[in-house]
Amino acid sequence: MNDPYSVLGVDPGASDDEIKKAYRELARKYHPDNYQNNPLADLAEEKMKAVNEAYDAIQKQRQGGGSSGQSGSYRPQGGYSAQSSNPTFARIRSVISAGDLAQAERLLNEVSDHSAEWYFLRGTVAYRKGWLDEAMQNYQIACQMDPNNMEYRQALAMMQRGGAGFTPYGYSSDLSDCCTTYLCLRCLCPLDGGLCC
Amino acid sequence: MREELKCRDFDLYRATYCGLCRTMRRRCGIMAPMVLNFDFTFLAVMLAPEKGEQLTYCHRCHIWPRRRCMCCQSPALELAADESVILAYWQLRDKVQDETFLGGLGHRFFALMLRSAYRRAAARLPSFTEAVTRQLSALHGLEQENCTSLDRAADTFAVLLRSAVPCSQDEAKDRAMGQLLYHLGRWIYLLDARDDLEEDRTKGNYNPILLRYGQQPCDEQLSLTLDNSLSLMRAACGLLDFGRQTQLIENVLYLGLPLVQRAVFDGSWKQLKKQKIWRNKI
Repeated sequence: MNDPYSVLGVDPGASDDEIKKAYRELARKYHPDNYQNNPLADLAEEKMKAVNEAYDAIQKQRQGGGSSGQSGSYRPQGGYSAQSSNPTFARIRSVISAGDLAQAERLLNEVSDHSAEWYFLRGTVAYRKGWLDEAMQNYQIACQMDPNNMEYRQALAMMQRGGAGFTPYGYSSDLSDCCTTYLCLRCLCPLDGGLCC
Repeated sequence: MREELKCRDFDLYRATYCGLCRTMRRRCGIMAPMVLNFDFTFLAVMLAPEKGEQLTYCHRCHIWPRRRCMCCQSPALELAADESVILAYWQLRDKVQDETFLGGLGHRFFALMLRSAYRRAAARLPSFTEAVTRQLSALHGLEQENCTSLDRAADTFAVLLRSAVPCSQDEAKDRAMGQLLYHLGRWIYLLDARDDLEEDRTKGNYNPILLRYGQQPCDEQLSLTLDNSLSLMRAACGLLDFGRQTQLIENVLYLGLPLVQRAVFDGSWKQLKKQKIWRNKI
């Protein structure tokens, strides 16, 4: 296993608070909510696992290596996986989660019954392909046909928010912060001089 | 957004820009730096290796011989230099095809000047050249049939940009990089189409946004789909290790691209774009 300190991106001499802070930032970054429906969700999950393990390992070391103690690390509940009563759709769902989008598309095209779930799955395939306009249209139809389905509504709401996401520290729309950075920059860099190319 | 960058990151960006210019000149001849632009500088930043010291050197600028600037030198720059030339050449050829004989003379002339540079670059990167010609001809086909799907039209350029990064041994890295570049390409294509919207409307040129939304106002929906692409780029970026370049890339993804997007939608982009980046005060 990698050095737990380098996984968290902290110095081995860092204080407990610094470690906790670094851990929280990473846990926020790789949180499954940020990778909801994202084709890279599995990679984020792996990162999350590595970060959790590193944090636990450091906690253990610092507590004297003895008792495992209670771990303070965050554990995701595991992504929800909606079940489908229709066997064809259940199969298509498993093909999508295996990442075979072309096959999922073929299977969907063979289905003649265009139910709300059909539109939802078509939206999911489009989303994973990166065809976001079509994804949105399909999710909208699915929600119109079955307005009470939480799964469809969640998917549509996520797109209507402009996507799931995490903003690293320092990139929030906090204006006072921008100004100070700007002022510092103007003082430090002679950018207006003839140095610039 | 320049104001948000640390000096170190700004220097890195500038050195990449100058390094790219110099690499293009060295590898593809004196005409090549003509096509230098910031998109490919950003690509060069993304391609650069995350670890190790970057080789930098000082030289006099060819265009402004009185100035001295720091340059980066790396295989990533060589790749980005060749790719810029190939893409610029085919984009020129594409414009020539779209225009009448006389209207296309300017582009024809530029394409001719770039020809030898292109030959050298294409010989080194046959697979990228193949991808560019394939995707641009697919786009041309969609234009001919007046394709109304935003996604299909944008897909051509998105796939093209995705092929700009060679495969590495690391599958996870390739997938994340692929998603980042795909959505960057999609975002660039759609925003460019939005920027040309009024011009295309009066001239009657092909524009997917025009065909998709007709006369209805489209900005809200369009910016939403672009925001979704940005989110997917950021999510992919979070899984990649860019080392020294991280701050610079995050600055572009979290501040630079949204700024450009807003400017295109409110119409101020045309002025903004003309300002010189090294001295501008955005």
